[in-house]
Amino acid sequence: MAEFSLIGKSVPRVDGVEKVTGKAGYAADFSLPGMLWCKLVRSPYAHARIVNIDASRALRLPGVKAVVTGKDFGGWTWGWMPATRDEPPVAVDKVRYWAEAVAGIAAIDEDTAEEACDLVDVEYEELPGVFDPEEAMKDGAPAVHDYAENNISVQYHWNFGDVEKAFADAYIVREDRFATSRATKGYIEPPATLAYYDPSGYITVRAAKQSPYFHYRHLAACFKLPLSRVRVIQPYIGGGFGGTKNDSLAGDFCAVLLSKMTGKPVKYVESMEEELTTSRRRHNMITYSKMGATRDGIITAIQHKVIADGGGYTAVGPLSLYLAGFGTTLPYKLDNFKYDGYRVFTNNPMGAAMRGHGVTHTRFAAECQMDMIADELGMDRLEIRMKNSIDNPAPGTTYTTINGVTLKTCGMKEAFRQVAEPYWHERNELPKKEGNISWGVGVSGAPYLTGARQMGHQACAAIIRLCEDGTVNLITGATDCGQGSDTVLAMIAAEELGIPVSAVISQKVDTSYTPADPGSYGSRVTVLGGQAVQKAAQEVKKQLVEVAAQTWKVKPEDVDIRDGMVFVASDPDKQMPFDRMARVACYSGTGAVIMGTGYSTYGLEPLGMESGYGNAGVSYSFTAQTARVGVDLETGQLTTQSFTIASDCGRMLNPLLAEGQIEGGAIQGLGQAIYEDFIMDKGRTLNPTFVDYKMPHSVDIPEMKLIDVETNDPDGPYGAKEASEASHVSTPPAVICAIHDAAGVWIKEQPATPEKIVKALKEKAKEKAQK
Amino acid sequence: MKSIKLEINGVQHEVEVAPWRTLLEVIREELQMTGTKEGCGLGECGACSVLMDGKTVNSCLVLAAEANGKRITTIEGLAQAERLHPIQQSFIDNGGFQCGFCTPGMIMSTKVMLDDNPNPTDDEIKKGISGNLCRCTGYAKIFDSIRAAKVAMAASSDGRGGA
Amino acid sequence: MVTFYRRLPKFDYLAPQSIEEALALLSRYQGSAKVIAGGSDVVPKLKRRAMKGIDYIVDLKGISGLDYISYDGAGLKLGPLATVRAVERSDVVLETFPMLAQAAESMASPQVRNRGTVVGNICNAVPSADMAPSLLTLDAKVSVVSEKGSRTVAIQDFFTGPTKTVLSADEIVTGIEIPNPPANSRGKYIKLTPRRAMDLAVVGVAVMVTPENGICKDLRIALGAVSPTPIRVAQAESILKGNKFSDELIDQVAEAAAEGCRPISDHRASAEYRRDMVRVLTRRAIRELLSDEAASAQGFGKGA
Ligand SMILES: Cc1cc2nc3c(=O)[nH]c(=O)nc-3n(C[C@H](O)[C@H](O)[C@H](O)COP(=O)(O)OP(=O)(O)OC[C@H]3O[C@@H](n4cnc5c(N)ncnc54)[C@H](O)[C@@H]3O)c2cc1C
Ligand code: FES
Ligand code: FES
Repeated sequence: MAEFSLIGKSVPRVDGVEKVTGKAGYAADFSLPGMLWCKLVRSPYAHARIVNIDASRALRLPGVKAVVTGKDFGGWTWGWMPATRDEPPVAVDKVRYWAEAVAGIAAIDEDTAEEACDLVDVEYEELPGVFDPEEAMKDGAPAVHDYAENNISVQYHWNFGDVEKAFADAYIVREDRFATSRATKGYIEPPATLAYYDPSGYITVRAAKQSPYFHYRHLAACFKLPLSRVRVIQPYIGGGFGGTKNDSLAGDFCAVLLSKMTGKPVKYVESMEEELTTSRRRHNMITYSKMGATRDGIITAIQHKVIADGGGYTAVGPLSLYLAGFGTTLPYKLDNFKYDGYRVFTNNPMGAAMRGHGVTHTRFAAECQMDMIADELGMDRLEIRMKNSIDNPAPGTTYTTINGVTLKTCGMKEAFRQVAEPYWHERNELPKKEGNISWGVGVSGAPYLTGARQMGHQACAAIIRLCEDGTVNLITGATDCGQGSDTVLAMIAAEELGIPVSAVISQKVDTSYTPADPGSYGSRVTVLGGQAVQKAAQEVKKQLVEVAAQTWKVKPEDVDIRDGMVFVASDPDKQMPFDRMARVACYSGTGAVIMGTGYSTYGLEPLGMESGYGNAGVSYSFTAQTARVGVDLETGQLTTQSFTIASDCGRMLNPLLAEGQIEGGAIQGLGQAIYEDFIMDKGRTLNPTFVDYKMPHSVDIPEMKLIDVETNDPDGPYGAKEASEASHVSTPPAVICAIHDAAGVWIKEQPATPEKIVKALKEKAKEKAQK
Repeated sequence: MKSIKLEINGVQHEVEVAPWRTLLEVIREELQMTGTKEGCGLGECGACSVLMDGKTVNSCLVLAAEANGKRITTIEGLAQAERLHPIQQSFIDNGGFQCGFCTPGMIMSTKVMLDDNPNPTDDEIKKGISGNLCRCTGYAKIFDSIRAAKVAMAASSDGRGGA
Repeated sequence: MVTFYRRLPKFDYLAPQSIEEALALLSRYQGSAKVIAGGSDVVPKLKRRAMKGIDYIVDLKGISGLDYISYDGAGLKLGPLATVRAVERSDVVLETFPMLAQAAESMASPQVRNRGTVVGNICNAVPSADMAPSLLTLDAKVSVVSEKGSRTVAIQDFFTGPTKTVLSADEIVTGIEIPNPPANSRGKYIKLTPRRAMDLAVVGVAVMVTPENGICKDLRIALGAVSPTPIRVAQAESILKGNKFSDELIDQVAEAAAEGCRPISDHRASAEYRRDMVRVLTRRAIRELLSDEAASAQGFGKGA
């Protein structure tokens, strides 16, 4: 008999039918009778003092019911940590980025609300702005927040080992500047909410939030209500990927306040252009990277100075900057590491979380620089990686990095082995040049953490209740924003209970009934939520088995449940279908409720943000990737032909879903590597549309070959770790290293656009001519 | 206000609409069929794709008045009672979606593609859905879903995967 | 004030049944009426409030018989409602003017091409309009009517600036006529974009060449997205005309094309890159047309 009946199988999604028939309800699909629409008035300046707001003309427009401004929120501000609560729901006396909200309008329909926006008279006093993080750090630069000296929002200085000595002893030392782009999550569903502030003092909200409990706390704090009076109900979520859908937006706060003022439900739907212009995006980070190595290619030291463009407010920036440093000691052995990170306020839209959070920036720098060193040493680019990779710790042992990150499993070396043959070694047999196209292959390695820690609340919990018809209600605070966690959690419950997945009825988050949970954040749901569900299901099983044991007058140890049957292995007469036993249990005696609860216990030690020491997650996934890319040497256009991705995501609980995550992560990484970037002009985003913010389309997709490297981590249900963020992180360096292999130029600033490639080729030709 | 007639999924509707209403607004708000999604509202993402007289259009760019008298098919019109269209089944079986927001539009584009050409090459499949953005899947499993749907539809006499 | 609109502004929708009726509406409402064919340019512009003061939308789709794509031996005629998709898939276009089909296929997405028209594309007159360069090399003629009368405008004279044409607000384009190109000519449109779909041209180059015994009998080059309007580069064309093809002369043509344009820098590309790409793609197009056996096999002028 197989070890598991469901785990490891490609079970189709539990929400499949709803999604393919259009029945799945997303936030914007809901409406209520008498509902009003909210629209935001936004600032035409990136940095300005608000002198006066006069909404009287707007209020006179027939159909307009109420207008709110920043002042109406009573001075409340919020942020990711207590020390950085610098963001008001709506700007109060100053706007700090272009199109920051300054007022919200409620009207009987959206047309009227939009029309009224033009009628709100706002008097501004424009202030000089600062748009480049390195400029912003200089003395005398315009101050975005009075409290932040030199506009420094957060900084970390960590020093492990002795980099100075290591550089002095190194055979080769390189220093380069790398930069990542202003990329964004790019979900197709714009943020939306439907809010109702019941006159009796309860808030009910249906909002597109991948972390509904964040929103719940924000609303309770903002409206000074006990948490029990705020109810966030999670609809289907049209993609998350971090940032905006973790947090609360001006529209969210305004909708609630406008509802309070009018006594009516209020709906807010962001326009996509609005989202692309104003939303929290990935920080663009500049990494000054210094790397030292021995003559035989052992990396001995890395020093990173990172400058992150934080935009107008702190948001989740402290974590972003922390992750950019923390990740650098993975996936290669490293004895000396120094990190100086600065997150800097500017008058750009906020930098925040996105898939591959933090790690993507510095891993890009380090992977490229490793290739540069390998090339200078005349070493094979894969060989240098194999040489430096962290080994898989023997079962029962751990590997600890210089900054205290502990690994119980690490499939990095095995993943590299898997891409070596045939993909890496075969590359020389493939054509190098075809017409104007020069082909190249890149290889990269990347780690990611499973179960990112929070500052305060970390754990996940689950409740499973057995119903008398043999189904179970699965109640968690976990949010499925597309990654498939509802399916995986249902599989875990079903596996433990020996019932089909269809017998598990998952409830979406409703903060009034589901256990608190940080939401879909930092690749945490499958592992932390999974453990909680596993434990809850085990408890239900235990209770049901006890009922069976009593019924059959046997010892509980003799009873088991499998394939929908409760049975005593030694006695074929003693067996009963699960649903019948459920009925027996539910109707027995006083009508005992069979219910199990569970919570995650993995990795509860706090996050060492200041020291940089210790774990950021529960376990760590690893990806090795190759990419074959063709460069048109005249136009710089790229053809991404193929990716090979070997992932150690522990045990794949559901290969179909895990592969989808890995592929999706890689293609989002491809976008970041070669297409995606917001082009800015004094804080204003010039390309806030899907034509000009270029996410990959179907016709841009390489062939993808996935290889599963199984490690079975002890800190994960059934050995699972995260999937997708590592492939998101490994893709940009693989592609950019491939471009170098093809065309001989390093594009150190993402994205590697055709124009940048042509420019680099021209410079290279010029240098050659001068020699 | 204009009175317009729409045949949606075989059902006749007569609605009074303002001249500046889009077909998408009418489908979602007047008729409360929210299966069709609005992503960008500007013709760039394909989430709002519906069939109008058998062709895919971005319903966010079509004025409701322009659709007067037309035959519209939305995602709600594909399944027959409980029986899913083979394309829908194939998207489920092959993991052709994650968040599902692009899915109604993606399936409508697939439908037209396979109705036009029951045996598209991989290249034609990619081109057929080139007006539909998907941010979640990286498209690979969408391609798998379409390939499998093509086989399922070819295998059935009615082209719908049934007998 | 910055507002991101999700809704269209208020206007009235008019669906005339005949050209005459449409013309009457346009002259009655002066500049406050806007013609639409597919609406794929006008609707997004209205939504984003990039087009203001429009009180009336005059939809031509109520007029029957305007979606023709016909070939009569002397040339091709496209009606004002001929969609980009229809042109891309039309047998006669594919056979006789493959460059047009190729340009059509390079546009937007299947959904947009199902709505957008070739006439709308040129009337919208953005410098990057994908149908323009091919039509320029084909010496297309645009038929225009108003209540005052009708006129025919050579496509070269049609564009007057970014999103500007010779049309006045009361005029309607009733068709495009494309004469047969010279016998043995062959053409190609190269659209440079980062992505392979849903992208606007960073540079568009259309080249039509007529080789005869190693001599260049005729050469026409048109460029998109590198000047205030789509343009022909006559100076570049003249370099090869009547001469023997040589790499050197082709390079000179490409250089002259690059010099003949006036690109700008914007968020899509720098002027320098655009100019460089005109050089690269002009040279590439000519070379490919000369070496491409297939091009001559299905080339132009079959019907001539
Ligand atoms: C997402 C998206 C992507 C796009 N991608 C591309 C692309 O890659 N390449 C490209 O070139 N374009 C692109 N476009 C623009 C547009 O689709 C094309 O220009 C299309 O051909 C316009 O045709 P239409 O019939 O829809 O024009 P409409 O919007 O109906 O009209 C456009 C203009 O022409 C005028 N007009 C139309 N017909 C007449 C007539 N008979 N007489 C007088 N004036 C008339 C209108 O008044 C208006 O000013 C894109 C548009 C969208 C929304
Ligand atoms: S919503 Fe219509 S194309 Fe995006
Ligand atoms: S499944 Fe989420 S956008 Fe396609």
